[in-house]
Amino acid sequence: MGRRRRRRRVDPADATRALPEAIAALSQTLPAGPSPETFRRAKFDRPEAAPALWRLLFRVLSPQLADGASASFSPEAQVRSVKLALRTQGYPRRALAQLPDDGSQGGRELLLALAWLLARGPLPERLLTQNRVQLGDEMPVCECEALASPGPPAPSVEADGCVDIRHLQWLMGKLRFRWRNLMASQQEQCALLGKIHSYTRGCHSDRSLGHLSVTETELLRDPEGGRQLLRRLERENARLQAALEWRRRELVFWRWMDTVLGACPPEASQPTFLPRIPTPGTGALEPLVRELQALQGELREAVEARRVAWEAGVGGRGPEWSAARTALREAVGQDLAALRQACERGGSCSLAQPHGPHRLVRTEAGAPGGPGLRAPEVIEALRSQEARLEVVLRQLQGQCRQELARLVGAPPGPVWILPPGR
Amino acid sequence: MDTTVTLLAGSSRRLVAELRDALDSCAERQRQLERSLRVSRRLLRAWEPAETLAPEPTPGPETNEEAPSAACIPSPQDLKELELLTQALEKAVRVRKGISNAGEGNKAPSLKSGSIATSPATRASAPPSTSHRAGSRASETKPPRGIRQTRVPTKDLPEHRLLSVGDQACMGQGAGATKPKSGLRNEQIVLSAASQAPEAFTLKDKGILLQLPEAFRKAASRNSRLWAQLSSTQTSDSVDAATTAKTQFLQKMQTTSGWPGSRLSATEVEAEVRHLQKACLLLRLRMGEELTAVVEQQLGPWPEGRFPRASLPCGGGADPIWSPQLLLYSSTQELQTLAALRLRVAMLHQQIHLEKVLMAELLPLVSKQEPLGPPWLALCRAVHSLLCEGGQRFLTILREDKPAD
Repeated sequence: MGRRRRRRRVDPADATRALPEAIAALSQTLPAGPSPETFRRAKFDRPEAAPALWRLLFRVLSPQLADGASASFSPEAQVRSVKLALRTQGYPRRALAQLPDDGSQGGRELLLALAWLLARGPLPERLLTQNRVQLGDEMPVCECEALASPGPPAPSVEADGCVDIRHLQWLMGKLRFRWRNLMASQQEQCALLGKIHSYTRGCHSDRSLGHLSVTETELLRDPEGGRQLLRRLERENARLQAALEWRRRELVFWRWMDTVLGACPPEASQPTFLPRIPTPGTGALEPLVRELQALQGELREAVEARRVAWEAGVGGRGPEWSAARTALREAVGQDLAALRQACERGGSCSLAQPHGPHRLVRTEAGAPGGPGLRAPEVIEALRSQEARLEVVLRQLQGQCRQELARLVGAPPGPVWILPPGR
Repeated sequence: MDTTVTLLAGSSRRLVAELRDALDSCAERQRQLERSLRVSRRLLRAWEPAETLAPEPTPGPETNEEAPSAACIPSPQDLKELELLTQALEKAVRVRKGISNAGEGNKAPSLKSGSIATSPATRASAPPSTSHRAGSRASETKPPRGIRQTRVPTKDLPEHRLLSVGDQACMGQGAGATKPKSGLRNEQIVLSAASQAPEAFTLKDKGILLQLPEAFRKAASRNSRLWAQLSSTQTSDSVDAATTAKTQFLQKMQTTSGWPGSRLSATEVEAEVRHLQKACLLLRLRMGEELTAVVEQQLGPWPEGRFPRASLPCGGGADPIWSPQLLLYSSTQELQTLAALRLRVAMLHQQIHLEKVLMAELLPLVSKQEPLGPPWLALCRAVHSLLCEGGQRFLTILREDKPAD
């Protein structure tokens, strides 16, 4: 436990304590963090430091595994998994890939790898967020989690072979059915939540919440489960506290890492041939290219039609015409700028817009309530999103209809009678 | 006439893979929902009493606090206190039944002050002047307050350490909203506790009485405080120094490495692809709005050049740090509408994606096959249904047969 001390003057005793304290905080906030002594040994590439660091990197790089699950991976499997994960993320040093698979060596290189991961992003915070204890009944207000899913794995070679189109129709029907079930289950869950929230109103010590959540009610029903939840919560609190400590002290760690890097011999700059790792993302490149080309084509067509209509409407090329055109240019420029901004990685999107899971809180209708999103606003936003997406879907379907009509050709071909109810 | 229409192997694999992926993500959502439903349904049924009567491991330090432990298992001491309290309450009920209507307003302050031992005495000195019907009304509304205000003379225990044997609930402070009816039931519970009659606990009837244990409350409030602190430390001076140090470290790592720099890692490629997919969707949405004047009229014109919040899929790339945020709703119907819309939006995203995939695989198929034969017509009909009607409806094809001579 570190003592907080305001350093007006540089006290050498403080300086020597600062590093171990920083590393201790780091170690406590990460899952399976080794002791500061292990870190020190790793700097000098001592072999005894390696296994602990392999384990740490494995936990850090596969956070989706539950606490006990990593034990089911053999040390070799863990080493290979770490190597693959780091390569996938673009780890720049070759030395890591050349470490033996039995996990007996490589303390210093692993230390560098850990520092590299820490430098690239808020790793402790991200790990804590992914595995956090949910105390409330949460609902995401956006779909970014679902949209970020990687998509189907590259279809394997031994797959079905040729398939009848009726199988596709059947799969589509099955999908529709599943969505309907999902909707029904969701409605039931909301009704139950509503009941639980209103039956426990006034019970929560936190006035802004007012009522209990399912998790909280459950812990009262099941005391043993409640004790486990409390332990998880306390563990998370300790890790959160350690993360805050780490953020306060990390500068001394980075200075130290410079020395670690300096202690490494420089790598020879000959390109080594490494086996290709299957990149999961490349399967999505082809459809993306097609999509972009299709968009470009549609835009051109639409623009052409618009331009013709506009020029006909304006009539003549007087000063009105150039004024109107300038105004149009400006509007388009603004639109494009907004589009660019919206596309920027983690740009205005995640700040300006409600994002992520929110805890549901039931209030009395008409009560002003405290801070937080209001359901009617979210409903409104979702409705307009729904409307826009429906427009896109109809347009795509319309394109298909046109294309098919074209392919079928003019009469004397068969007559198509569209299904009723359009 | 229903001839089979076979697709090419490559197309088959891709299409089936996409559809299976869509089915799997649906199934995953359903699984999570089922889990939540199980828990919720169980909570709304009668609660089983706990099997174990093991002594509560969290003792002592809470003597002056009001929180009962999560287990709410009564110890012999608690039972004794319960007994005493029950007797005192029985007496209070007897006394109150004989109290006048006129004196009702004054009851509260006199009840609040002092112990139950003294209050009957003060009450007894006041002459009862009105009828019993007032008394019965008093007995209906008074008990909750009575239970709250009563001090057990033997020990300085606040009343919310009342434990009822039959149910696991611990009485709490929700009394403001307590209906008189349930208040009466509270009293009945306490009275019947002495006779140890087990009464099943249901959330509907007694949910208001619940109270979270102290240890949990402390941990939970510390938890939300720490999260809020963590998400706010993203911007500060010390952070800038650390950021510079980190950037320099990364650069040094790159320069000391044996590999040529500026190779895109697989993760970066994936991120870039997602980025571009998002951009495509945004463009499509924008185009859709431009080309459909109807939308403009229904939803009102945009502020110039600004993409309204509603149409944006979120950043998602860099996981933002979670911080406690609330979503307030006021009725079950509102919640259901919100949830249904969310699912609808998710479904539309999926449908659009599938539409693009199907278009890419099926349209070339139609153009390549030999036209106007029966298999081709069957193909066209099936493709039309999938692409234009979401697989839900089919069109009819009329073919004019040539005259048979």
